Amino acid sequence: MSLTLLFKSLLQRKVITALLLVQLTLTLALLSNSVLLSSQAYQLSNQPTGLQLDTTLAIELKPTDENLIVHPALGDLIQRQLAALRQIGGVRHAAFSNQTPLLFGGMNGNVYVEGKQDTTNIEMVPYNFAEAELFDTLQMTLLHGRWLSAEDKNTDNVVITDKLAKQLFSDSHLAIGQQTNGGNIVGVVADMMYQRFASDQYFGLFFNRDLNRADYGYRLLLQVEPQAVAAVRQQIYDSLRQVEPEIDIQQVVSLRQLHRDYFEQERGLAILLSVLSGLMLVVAMISAYSHALFHGVQQQNEIGVKRALGASKQRILVEVLSESWLTTGIGAALGLLASYLLQQQLATVISLPALPLWLPLCGALTLLLCVTIATWYPAAIATRVSPATATKAL
Amino acid sequence: MDNLLHAFALALRNIKRAPLPYLLTVLILSLGLGMFFSNATLYYWLNHDPLPQKSHSLFYPQINSVLQPCDSCTEPMRVLSYQDVQKLSSSGIPSAQAAMFQSAGYARLPGNSDVSPTPVRLRVTQRDFFTLFDVPFLHGERWADDTARRELILSKASAERFFGRSNVVGETLRLGNELFTISGVLQDWEMLPRLYDVANGLNSARSADIYLPWETAFDLGIKSNTTTMSRDERDYSDNFAVNGREGQFYQAQFWVQLDSPQQVTAYQQFMQQLVHSEKEAGRHPRPEANRLTNILDITEHFNARNRQLDAFALVSLLFLLVCLFNASHLSLNRYLASQYEFGLRRALGCSRSQLQQLILADVAVSAALALFLSLAVAAAAMSLIASLLPATRNLTSWNPLMVLTMAGTALIACYLVTLYPALRASFGSLNRQLK
Repeated sequence: MSLTLLFKSLLQRKVITALLLVQLTLTLALLSNSVLLSSQAYQLSNQPTGLQLDTTLAIELKPTDENLIVHPALGDLIQRQLAALRQIGGVRHAAFSNQTPLLFGGMNGNVYVEGKQDTTNIEMVPYNFAEAELFDTLQMTLLHGRWLSAEDKNTDNVVITDKLAKQLFSDSHLAIGQQTNGGNIVGVVADMMYQRFASDQYFGLFFNRDLNRADYGYRLLLQVEPQAVAAVRQQIYDSLRQVEPEIDIQQVVSLRQLHRDYFEQERGLAILLSVLSGLMLVVAMISAYSHALFHGVQQQNEIGVKRALGASKQRILVEVLSESWLTTGIGAALGLLASYLLQQQLATVISLPALPLWLPLCGALTLLLCVTIATWYPAAIATRVSPATATKAL
Repeated sequence: MDNLLHAFALALRNIKRAPLPYLLTVLILSLGLGMFFSNATLYYWLNHDPLPQKSHSLFYPQINSVLQPCDSCTEPMRVLSYQDVQKLSSSGIPSAQAAMFQSAGYARLPGNSDVSPTPVRLRVTQRDFFTLFDVPFLHGERWADDTARRELILSKASAERFFGRSNVVGETLRLGNELFTISGVLQDWEMLPRLYDVANGLNSARSADIYLPWETAFDLGIKSNTTTMSRDERDYSDNFAVNGREGQFYQAQFWVQLDSPQQVTAYQQFMQQLVHSEKEAGRHPRPEANRLTNILDITEHFNARNRQLDAFALVSLLFLLVCLFNASHLSLNRYLASQYEFGLRRALGCSRSQLQQLILADVAVSAALALFLSLAVAAAAMSLIASLLPATRNLTSWNPLMVLTMAGTALIACYLVTLYPALRASFGSLNRQLK
């Protein structure tokens, strides 16, 4: 199969070839960058959380009677609610907090080492109300020091996450006993994914104090036996209503659901871009199919002559496919360049990692595969041209 | 007329004769147009000017008023404190001005204490809010002044939900534990994008159910349920009527209407003087960083643009381009397949304008089919987007202007993809065509 002849054949149809090349170039550029965006979104949503997503339930609620929003009625209500929830079969641990992990925003404050505000200040750190049982409820891992106990109630003692400790003191074991503006550090726990808009999503600070007002509601967290999750969820509403009817139970969700919501935008965009990538390949296949079919018909006489002169069906098949492969190859080479140009443009709009070379190369191979599949049927039709057709034409 | 009908009949006959290439061309065009317009609709709702008649005159002032000294803090807070609002309201320059924040509460009819209260979205604000954003009243009117008052303004939907009718001015409603009189009911009103609360990422959220006077909210300890920040040691869960007003508790947005460039300049000078006098009094330790941002620039100002949707918009625009090139390619193939017929017509005396007429009829039929199919693709894409990105659900409604633009684009796209084949048909060598 002569490459020169193939080029000549393409040059006979300059406009069509140019249109095909532009289209293949853009398709590869879009395909590579769509996959890059999708994989970035996928990686984001698969970061470790440090949480038991399926067996931890979060109940978001707020008293509708304003007398219950303030301490001490509020504290009493929360303890009665927790006692009722612990009675439900399958509930292993129950605890209260002002907010759950895996939220976009919430109660945040700045944290710095006392006397070193200028060098250690961190702006947005989630401040979490925490009692002793929150440790087991969230299945935390203690790294240094101790967790908060009932004796820490309304004291200055706090526990922080590992990443926050490292940020403040470079090594987390150095944090124990240190004084921050948030309190005296008595423990360090393993990282948990807390808030999206915090300075870092693994930062967290825990303290054991009374919640004076619940203007923003509060959260009850449950650690549940894996097989009892559904049954527990069904009983939560009745159980809480029996304790106090003047309460708005805004939602009961598993941390798995919160995790889905947390990365909803990334996941949604990844799926949309995947759909678009699929459509691009479909469009490329339609184009290759129709191109091969049309030119198969156009070159019927030529193919017939070749058949009459002894060309085998396989040779004709390879010839037709070779033309598609050559076009796709040139389009892919241009597409490689276009992929990097498009990545640079997209990177000015959103944060996007560098495009690894294997990605457009894999894209080119996928494109080649799709084009081959789409061209196969028209190429097979072309091989059926009888030598008699050529004789008639002559 | 006969010629036109003949041209359309021929266009339809061409489709029947070779339906597959024709349908593939239309399908590819529809995919490109549909995907692009589903995204363009989203983009339109996120970026269009919701108040074209007065957006040029609405501004968001900010001063760097935090009392903690910090020389490197050169950006003012995104939200304002009660004290900031008081100071920025004292100029007398704006035609209208209002502070506001979003909150939430529970409402019920006074006699229905046995029934669970209904959660409601609140907007705490001042009387000029309704002037600033051209909010239309159905019944009643805005508050007489900005003093504390037990009066609520309801959205039409809320009035109908609680009372079963819209004219409820003078009725009472319990919000939390407090009884309020209803002084006004709004017409159905949505401002999309909701630029007055874009700092909290609420540009596509629904409008409030109930509007509550600013001073009353402070008296009752009602706080924002979005961004709040405190920068002192006060306990804001206690005696908010005093602490919220006197302390460094940041939660409000503040908008002013400045109708002329002179007013804008005067207000900027007022802000400068205000900061200088505060500095002299020792109440403005941070660097001067006054901002007066127009409502159309507020999304950029708060870096609240959805960059991922921007990227998706760019990708879908390029996808449309790919589809246009593809359709051109298919269209050219179709022409080459029927160039003998074109040549024969020309040989039999068909003029170039008559040939153009035939091609335009073909374009019109293609455009109609492409529009129909692309509307279906766009509807499917929009429902997919709404289900995958629930935050954009309010932005996926059809807009007549967008549909018209889509129809126009479909026509232009069909003409563009047929342009080159049409030129070759009309001006190509007759001998070659017939051969």
